[in-house]
Amino acid sequence: MKEISGIPLDKIDDYRWSIPRSYKPGMRVPGLIYADEKLLKDIYQDKAMEQVANVAFLPGIVNNSLAMPDIHWGYGFPIGGVAATDIEEEGVISPGGVGFDINCGVRLLKTDLEYDDVKDKIKDLIYRLFSDIPSGVGSEGCIKVSPEEEREILLKGARWAVEKGFGTDDDLEYTEENGAMPGADPQAVSERAMQRGKTQSGTLGSGNHFLEVQIIDQLYDQEACKVLGLNLGQVMVEIHSGSRGLGYQVCEDYSRSMAASLAKYNISVPDRQLACAPLTSVEAKAYLSAMKCAANYAWCNRQCLMHLTRQVFEKIFGSSWQELGMFLIYDVAHNIAKIEKHKVGGKEKNLCVHRKGATRAFGPNHPVLPEKYKKIGQPVIIPGDMGRNSYLLAGTEKAMQETFGSACHGAGRLKSRTAAARSIKPDILLKELESKGIIVKASGRNTLVEEAPSVYKDVNDVVDVMHNAGISKRVCRMRPIGTVKG
Amino acid sequence: MRKIPYQFIEHTADIGIRIKSFSLAGLFKKAGIAISGLSLQRGNQKYREKHKIIIRQKASNVEELFINWLNELLSVSAVESLAFENIQINRINEYFVDAIAIGSDIRNYKINTEIKAATYHQLKVKKNGLIWQAEVIFDV
Repeated sequence: MKEISGIPLDKIDDYRWSIPRSYKPGMRVPGLIYADEKLLKDIYQDKAMEQVANVAFLPGIVNNSLAMPDIHWGYGFPIGGVAATDIEEEGVISPGGVGFDINCGVRLLKTDLEYDDVKDKIKDLIYRLFSDIPSGVGSEGCIKVSPEEEREILLKGARWAVEKGFGTDDDLEYTEENGAMPGADPQAVSERAMQRGKTQSGTLGSGNHFLEVQIIDQLYDQEACKVLGLNLGQVMVEIHSGSRGLGYQVCEDYSRSMAASLAKYNISVPDRQLACAPLTSVEAKAYLSAMKCAANYAWCNRQCLMHLTRQVFEKIFGSSWQELGMFLIYDVAHNIAKIEKHKVGGKEKNLCVHRKGATRAFGPNHPVLPEKYKKIGQPVIIPGDMGRNSYLLAGTEKAMQETFGSACHGAGRLKSRTAAARSIKPDILLKELESKGIIVKASGRNTLVEEAPSVYKDVNDVVDVMHNAGISKRVCRMRPIGTVKG
Repeated sequence: MRKIPYQFIEHTADIGIRIKSFSLAGLFKKAGIAISGLSLQRGNQKYREKHKIIIRQKASNVEELFINWLNELLSVSAVESLAFENIQINRINEYFVDAIAIGSDIRNYKINTEIKAATYHQLKVKKNGLIWQAEVIFDV
């Protein structure tokens, strides 16, 4: 056993570390952190491990309070945390276990273009993407919706966009939940949340949200790449966005009501941002209905963003998006709670799986996967920072056994925004990126600095842990050539 | 926009600030205006019209009131597309606040960082001697 910052850690193997229940009275299960020695040094620099222990207090939590290798300090839950609660054992749902940006997620689409096709046009492409896709604080989309249409979006998710002509049924096939969770109830969404969502469909947002043009620079799993139609040098597009103001307001509304639930249901948690309610309660049911609305809004948003992206490529390259081969590989959520069936102690259970900065990573032959992906497992998209790499992984059976079919969601932050602002100059950063062949266009200089590569862990280290622990396997790696930051 | 005295608290992913004031009204006012200071930079004052919005919040304790207050300002700011440059507190105690937020069109500002919400994580609102002090972490 080693002790870091006063927290005892049992080494299970080179990639797994356990925080014993004895660390804090009230922990119902141990903590389990996926990391190697190198990443562990970064993890113990902030309060993320303490938060892993705090999540273990949630009523009904089963097996472990899990942390992926991109774990870092959040508010309540750590970012990179996974917690599953058993409905039959008074399990709870916590809005803090999903976060304010409900169904923040990422989608990856391929193209038939190669680097030589884009290298002389990348600046035009990135500038056009920046001008045609609304981003940044308070940005309004070009896709205007009436109140009635907004309610439809909350029910239909990405399908609403497809019915408007912003995509095809194939896009829905390759989106988690087919782009809409059943059970969404717009009545559970406040008028204020509806107002915040009204003008933001088809907007990227700010902060760590981005749209990136990438090149595949490494293939790892030839069979999976063949199934996915991926080759070295191929141009890819990655889109990272969420449910915008509508999701923030849903979380805020229900965090308020869940705070009262703690006393009502006699629940004790060490951080009020872990406020929760039993899954069988009216409060939990209302939150879940509203959360699904926000999740569906986010899938519609990413579908609209992909549509706008395809339009820009059509303008720049003078061919239809179908001719350019711009087909969706997959779209995954990484801030969400879902009722899923998993085996606990050999018995199948209905669990509420919270993924707060974690990606679903179902293994091969899972019934919810598209037929085409049943053999290889679910595509898992892992964005890195704008100067290094992103990855496409595939879910594994081991993930089903150990992590409720979950993997990491990115590189994970290493440095604070204030530390970034103190040490990084935007002009120098832009020149450094340009010298590496990466064109960046950002709404704000602060965003640029706050999202600099040096503030993130190296995604290559994070993915190594996931692969070596068997939680997901590498399929291919991309490097960025152009990024639009919100 | 006026310079608002607040200190940053280090946090890996989000933004934390510490605010001090001789009165609860001053604390709430400073924290409210800090939102615009953190998320926006003043640009050209092209859209001059000022808008006044009544903000009323209640809660069972001062920490809850503080979070409700900040999140209400964030929410109204988003819906009305306003940056609140000034706030007039009409009535306040530890359970209730009645104020007027005075804002101008958000198009007058350059983007800095989008604040999603104020959180309860490591929240502190208390009076030390004569000074009210608050520490809050925003999800950004």
